[in-house]
Amino acid sequence: MESLSFIEHFQIWLRAYLILSLFSFMYKDNRFYKLSEHIFAGLSAGYYVGLIWQTVIIQQLINPIYDDGRWWLILPGILGVLMFARLIPKWSWISRTSLAFYMGSTAGIYLITNLHGFILPQAVSSMVSLNPGNGFGATLLALIIVIGVISTLIYFYFSKEHTGFLGVTARVGIWFIMISFGAHFGYTVMARVSLLIGRVHFLYFDWGESIRQIL
Amino acid sequence: MDIWQKLNELDRRWIYFLMFLSILFPTIFVIKFPVELTPEAEQLYNAVEALPDSSVVMLTFDYYASAMAETEPMSIAALRHMWRKNMKIVTLTNIPLGGPTIAERITRQVAKEFGKVYGVDYVNLGYKANYVAVMHGLAGSIESIFPTDYSGTRLSELPLMQKVKTYADIKFLYCVADNATADYWISIVNAQYGLPVGAGVTAVMAPKMYAFVEAGQMTGLLGGMKGAAEYEKLVGAPGSATRGMDAQSMAHFLIIFLVMVGNLGFFLTKKKRKV
Repeated sequence: MESLSFIEHFQIWLRAYLILSLFSFMYKDNRFYKLSEHIFAGLSAGYYVGLIWQTVIIQQLINPIYDDGRWWLILPGILGVLMFARLIPKWSWISRTSLAFYMGSTAGIYLITNLHGFILPQAVSSMVSLNPGNGFGATLLALIIVIGVISTLIYFYFSKEHTGFLGVTARVGIWFIMISFGAHFGYTVMARVSLLIGRVHFLYFDWGESIRQIL
Repeated sequence: MDIWQKLNELDRRWIYFLMFLSILFPTIFVIKFPVELTPEAEQLYNAVEALPDSSVVMLTFDYYASAMAETEPMSIAALRHMWRKNMKIVTLTNIPLGGPTIAERITRQVAKEFGKVYGVDYVNLGYKANYVAVMHGLAGSIESIFPTDYSGTRLSELPLMQKVKTYADIKFLYCVADNATADYWISIVNAQYGLPVGAGVTAVMAPKMYAFVEAGQMTGLLGGMKGAAEYEKLVGAPGSATRGMDAQSMAHFLIIFLVMVGNLGFFLTKKKRKV
């Protein structure tokens, strides 16, 4: 590894300090943990405000109005400003205009997105042939999909008491849901372990290299 | 007090310590457990491989710094694969905290390996708020949503962006994400604008994404660090994900062992608790 500059050493040591401070919470709550937590919260808020100001307010509103003469953008700009009326209880009703516009447009966009992008394609892919023609294994998988979809849907059908045939099918649905939860939990464990691996690798390789070079 | 009762009252910090050791040990002493390929990872690799050389692809960095252990190796392997085929890459992010700088750092780092020039071979558009509006807006005009790139250069001054105006000029969307933006790249950009989408996602998200692969809405999937290690293997450039899989396996062995011991203890002390 090439020689690290002073700034790189400093960055590595700062990261190592913050990681170890945050990990120290696993032993017990302490001042180092709290300081790191507050630094993170403060930096995030400041960075986010600056980023939104530059990429949205400047780039999408002020520049197009002044540079390109797109005066009609003043209208969404005013709607945005009206949202701040919520901060003054007497005038908070004014913000409802902006909220109504936002909710109406969002509902319309999400309706199409969910219908076109999720519900219809997923419904189509669930309607599988029980004889796909690729041998017994493929038929078995298709059968599992059909039973899984129907029994899970029946489990979430609450207009009739789950007794008799409906009860048995709903019970099968619970098993499918439980297996799904198990898969999700397994993957979640893997994800969390991965995050720890990333930090341990940083401490061992990067911080370790910095210590070696300093010594 | 017998051993099961003692284990039942074990301080959880001992488990944290064991977990730390299970990761540190294979980090120091490399074991090299084999990484088996899944059909979904191969599908993603083949989809990129099937694109004509010099195609324009969009690569997203939709992840926070906290998920980098899983997602960063995917981005690096994807860039290596694409530039090996001399592709032109447009990157962007829908994540404000970390996303733009991660994209900038990683693309420049890999570009150096391949001698790629900014503005000609790749462009980093940076971040823009409200990803649903961004995804719809890019279909009409990329320049209207991103008037400048991440560094503030106007898109009209970048040679690559002269020929990339909308999704119609892009052949494939390679999304690396740790959140719901992956769902929307599929449900908006693939479903409504017809752009093929492949994704590398964190392990937490992976089970849900299999449904999209099964439905043909997605062309391939990488799930978590394992998926990243698979892609590194396919590209032939082992990196941090491959290195992390030994520790991943050891940690899983420990968790399985602890679950078994916990359950055994629960059943063996059941009678005593009743008494």
